[in-house]
Amino acid sequence: LLPEEIERLRPKLRFKVCYEVGFLCPDVDDIVQEAMSRFLVATQQDKVRKPEAAGAFLAGICRNVISEYRRRMRREDPMPDVVPEPPGKSLAESDLFEFRDAIAQAMAQLPERDRSLLRAFYLEEKTKEDIMAQTGLTDQNFRVVLFRAKEKFRRLYLDLTKHPGALRHSEI
Amino acid sequence: MSADFHQDLVLREDLFRRYLERRLSADLRDQFESHYLGCDECYEELRATELLMRGLDDRILVRRRVRDVTILRFVENTELLAYSLELNELASAVRLQSDTKVLIDLSMVSRIDSTGLGVLMNCYCHAVKNAGALKLLHPDAPVKHVLSLTKVDSILQSFDDEAAAIASFHA
Repeated sequence: LLPEEIERLRPKLRFKVCYEVGFLCPDVDDIVQEAMSRFLVATQQDKVRKPEAAGAFLAGICRNVISEYRRRMRREDPMPDVVPEPPGKSLAESDLFEFRDAIAQAMAQLPERDRSLLRAFYLEEKTKEDIMAQTGLTDQNFRVVLFRAKEKFRRLYLDLTKHPGALRHSEI
Repeated sequence: MSADFHQDLVLREDLFRRYLERRLSADLRDQFESHYLGCDECYEELRATELLMRGLDDRILVRRRVRDVTILRFVENTELLAYSLELNELASAVRLQSDTKVLIDLSMVSRIDSTGLGVLMNCYCHAVKNAGALKLLHPDAPVKHVLSLTKVDSILQSFDDEAAAIASFHA
């Protein structure tokens, strides 16, 4: 693995760690650094046999680091009297929260018909077939709406993360 | 494994949604995480889906229909001022739709300026041009004051009772 390939893994690993321990956890960067260090040592020792499986290898290391972190936290924190409820079905808090205005601007550019179709698919969990039956759209139409919106938000994501703060609304 | 996640892009979107809502089985979640750590495309698409879902979930306006009247209401406290996102949302909600009988619930609107009034009038013109009507519901005192001061209230009818407002479309 080339150094730039290894570095490209870092934001993805950070997202995975945040997903596991929460975006507000103060120890996210320590966990990421520990997992990256172990991964680098493993690559230097030629333990990653197949470069195409580097993601799976790193995921395994990361799971171990997170398990160790959780064990350590459990040792340090007394057991709560009441076990907390598992989180409900919703998106977790995220590092994307600060981009709310940019998200709303991009959303406002989607036709209302597309938005209601996307809401049905992503939020109301309707299947593609149900939506097609209700709206009379063909499979092709459905895919066009879905991927037109996805392309807009993919570009938005790249703009926001590569040039945070530099995005002008007119560029969305 | 890689081929599975790229085989059908609609199915992949469904997978992204369930992952983001933490509803994948542990086994599938591990497989998917192992995959996206090595796949830039899936990672970017996952984050794009996350943005899209946040946008879809973060509604500024809710729309409901009572008989043939569409009622638009702001979800949270709003100011209809120049450059506010809510104005764009309102304008596109009215002008890009085929609804012609529109009732805008202003109960969550605490301030309005000339741009806000301009957008309301624009929406009104759009509805009238399409043989419809646009009326206002529950404007609070400061908004009522602005509507009266500018004499917009002589054109845009306001109501404090939803049933009366809906009935007025059929009078």
